[in-house]
Amino acid sequence: MEDGPRERTADGAIVFENLTKSFGEIEAVKGVTLSIPKGQICGYLGPNGAGKTTTVKMATGMLEPTAGRAIVEGFDIVKEPLEAKRVIGVVPETGALYATLTPNEYLALVGRLYHLDRDETDEKTHTFLKLFGIADVADRLMTTFSRGMKQKVLISAALLPNPSVLFLDEPLSGLDANTALVLKELLRDLASQGRTIFYCSHILEVVEKVCDRVVILVGGEVIADGKVEELKDMTHQGSLEDVFSELTSSENLAEIVRAFSRSITGDGGA
Amino acid sequence: MATAAAFTRRGRGRNALDWDQFRALLVASVKLDLRSTRMQRGRTGKFPPIAAAFATYVVMGTLLALAVMSTDDVFVFSLFTLSAAMFMTALLVIMEYSSVVVHPDDFDVLGYRPISSRTYFWAKIANLGLYVAATAFALSIPASIVVGIKYAPGAVLTAVYLLAALVACQATAALVVLIYSVAIRVFNYEKFTRAITYVHTLSTLVIVFGYVLLPRVLAKDVMLLSVERGAWVYAVPPAWYAGAVELATGTGGRQSLALAGLAAVSAAALIWAAMNTVSLDYSRRISALATASAKAVKEAGRRKSLGRLGLPLCRTDEERAGFELMRSYMTRDRKLRARIYPAFGLPLAVYVYGLITGGLHDPFVPQEISGGFPAHQLLGFYSVFITLFFATAIAQSDQWEASWIFYSTPVRSRAGIVTGARKLIIWRYLLPFFAFLFVLLAFAMPPAKAAMYVLLNLLLALTAFALLSLTSPHLPLSQSLEKAKQARQIGLIMLLGMSMAALTAILELMKQVPRAGFAVYPALLLLAVGAELLLRRRLERRLAREEFPG
Repeated sequence: MEDGPRERTADGAIVFENLTKSFGEIEAVKGVTLSIPKGQICGYLGPNGAGKTTTVKMATGMLEPTAGRAIVEGFDIVKEPLEAKRVIGVVPETGALYATLTPNEYLALVGRLYHLDRDETDEKTHTFLKLFGIADVADRLMTTFSRGMKQKVLISAALLPNPSVLFLDEPLSGLDANTALVLKELLRDLASQGRTIFYCSHILEVVEKVCDRVVILVGGEVIADGKVEELKDMTHQGSLEDVFSELTSSENLAEIVRAFSRSITGDGGA
Repeated sequence: MATAAAFTRRGRGRNALDWDQFRALLVASVKLDLRSTRMQRGRTGKFPPIAAAFATYVVMGTLLALAVMSTDDVFVFSLFTLSAAMFMTALLVIMEYSSVVVHPDDFDVLGYRPISSRTYFWAKIANLGLYVAATAFALSIPASIVVGIKYAPGAVLTAVYLLAALVACQATAALVVLIYSVAIRVFNYEKFTRAITYVHTLSTLVIVFGYVLLPRVLAKDVMLLSVERGAWVYAVPPAWYAGAVELATGTGGRQSLALAGLAAVSAAALIWAAMNTVSLDYSRRISALATASAKAVKEAGRRKSLGRLGLPLCRTDEERAGFELMRSYMTRDRKLRARIYPAFGLPLAVYVYGLITGGLHDPFVPQEISGGFPAHQLLGFYSVFITLFFATAIAQSDQWEASWIFYSTPVRSRAGIVTGARKLIIWRYLLPFFAFLFVLLAFAMPPAKAAMYVLLNLLLALTAFALLSLTSPHLPLSQSLEKAKQARQIGLIMLLGMSMAALTAILELMKQVPRAGFAVYPALLLLAVGAELLLRRRLERRLAREEFPG
């Protein structure tokens, strides 16, 4: 349903050129080409296994592309990894952190890795954790933390070095409704300050409200790229959820639901 | 600081060492080492595994030093004690490679941070160096005190021995790192992930031979703790370090000087080479080891029918679930296999040793008739020893959080899940292993005697497997992997199993009273069944009230 590639800006904060990743015989990402200008929030959507997280991993230097390249703030992530990584903040989908450290210790480690002044790190750490409502557990090991609490620490770690580009992979995972609201507003605020945000999510309502632009990936390929309203007009649908369903589902969703229901009750499977 | 100029403080170059990051990573690594994942505020009284492991090593070192201090030769004393320290170091680095050399979370946590490979590897090597130094110190402090009291009174020799032990253990760890690096470079990724478990096994075999058995093979009379020195000392690494200790006592000659020189040069070369191998990419590779490729899954699918032949051994749904779970993980989780397979290198090494020395003779006749050191007894011990690896490893996984399913589903008996997992181990590994052992032994003794001996060891191994599982009464794959956790358990269990008393006593009984054989086998069978029932009861009680550890 793609109406041709959008006009690319040569000086995008994030640029993917024919970005490709193969795992053996499986081609997870197939020649993705995008240019995301400074200050834009780009939603990156797709069904499970579409290649979203693989794209983020390539863009953040965690996976080397099989072909093509990713450029962040003018730095090629493969050729100039340290320079590129210094300007990005990442909230990974895995939620990985060293759980046997405390939030204070973990954020201090992150601060040191980015050469932040120790006082600045302490001050920011205290502020972030307080705003997220977890300041009282700042000296407790994170082994006891819920997913949401760990997510708050991860978001704090991503924001700590004041990055100009943010890669967020399911950032609302585990967050309570109030924190999710705060984060959505925060993202808009950060974008208005000129920060570029690459936002992977399955929560379409949030993407619809927060993102300036939406890219839909299916089977490793970009099948749609545009503003939410443009995509709605193009598909003649009323919401991003409907647009997504129209573009990514080859089967009748109502029939799938009925088949599931029959299977659960034992009246015959799909 | 004179060396400060060598470091690029801000790490501007892609491969420059960033001193600030190095310190931060090292401090974090040490903190992670010293903490248990189950430690919580208010529960910090729990001993971290690493501390318990070191306490175990001190006890082991003490027992070993006491066992060999009867010799008057400082070279022989040092040869045996340093061999043991180097062997233990190698074993723990091999078995816990995925957590000792790189932390399993490193790649996911640090992969997108601006850290150069050089900074990362220096931090990791420094962390490994500290860990190995602490281990070597714990294992060697008792022997160093003996050296300082018995062979050349004074603190200087104690310090020299400790230094030799530290360098020897560091070089051993470096050797293991190098073996891995060669494996990574020689094989492509897919082959490497398949080869890694076999590299483990081979490493164990090589190390057992090089450090522990070869000196014994070459000894004129191993029981008298004396060795006839010859050119072989230049081929046996512990002898190099023993030569250095001897040199320090002032009793060594040219040979000691040459050995000490070999020790210094080889250690420097190994450590230098190892320091050029570890990078953050290693963490990615190690992380990926747990993930089977599509090809591996296809292969596992082909083996499915063979593994499932053991399913009828399971009586309940819980047992079948445990059996299938463990079958899948043993097939696809290479980390799990890599922790277990080295165990098989030990009995294989002993078998080869027995062939060389002629020690694999009929175990049911008195030694003076058949002659030679009874290697079959050592083989029997190691056959039991392999069950320790299974008993400790099957409860641990880096995907331990997935065990929530056992707590959230209406499972009638969680103990049944453990029983099913254990039946898989017995069916798929222990029984084939002992069948293989029978084939091997049939070349060295009459087949009937080989069958009797293998059956004896199988019953002892099944008893040991049940009893040792009592020390780790957890659901399969439900406990987190922690540095030194497995080493501590193996260390503890080695203490329990250091004696081959049971096997020796049974063999002596059967030699003295040939008809005792009729009673021994049913008795051992009863013992194995009794141990299994005891374990089952403990599991029922323990797991019924156990909470999800996450």
